[in-house]
Amino acid sequence: MDELDLQIRNFLYRRFVETGQAPRTDDAAAEFGLPGEEAEAAFHRLHDAHALVLERDALEIRMLNPFSCVPSAWRVKAGGHKWYSNCAWDSFAVCAALHSDGRIESSCADCGEPLAVDVRDQKPVQRDYLFHVLVPARQWWDDIVFT
Amino acid sequence: MNLFRSEEHLQRWLAGREPGATTSVETVCELAHAWYADRLDPDWRPHTLVQNQAILNNLGLTGEFWQLG
Repeated sequence: MDELDLQIRNFLYRRFVETGQAPRTDDAAAEFGLPGEEAEAAFHRLHDAHALVLERDALEIRMLNPFSCVPSAWRVKAGGHKWYSNCAWDSFAVCAALHSDGRIESSCADCGEPLAVDVRDQKPVQRDYLFHVLVPARQWWDDIVFT
Repeated sequence: MNLFRSEEHLQRWLAGREPGATTSVETVCELAHAWYADRLDPDWRPHTLVQNQAILNNLGLTGEFWQLG
């Protein structure tokens, strides 16, 4: 990842946290004075570097991990705002990234019953649940949406 | 990467599939903080594979399943 891509990546995260909206290639082009096609190329490079996740069928950001830029089954209240994340791990990670306490709301993957975990001082308050990862670590990025 | 109400719920969800790895909520919370606390830092740099593997190792997440590369 070269210095410009790093700056673009940091801008995308900063803008997302400020606005709650996924920045578009036009936003990056305007911020850095780039032609549109160069901003688009940067989005692809950042996707390939696992610095963000693009939608499969559009040049739009789906994930700025741990945040989900689209609605998901994982909702996190943290830092005075409501966010979506991508999975159980990322839900705790939203609190970590924001350096904030928070509340995670989702459901048991088996029965669908609602579950909630509060995070206080980097620790979960409710500790009865189990966390399960189906995909081995080496394969996480083979299909990150499934993972 | 999911949460389950209990081992019974996890086993029912697996429905005979090979399980992956299971940890406590405390462990995944600690993992999340170790892996992602710098994610919004203005001077963020990508973690190396070695750094991330060390995070897993330090939490006892070892063995073939947790090998990143």
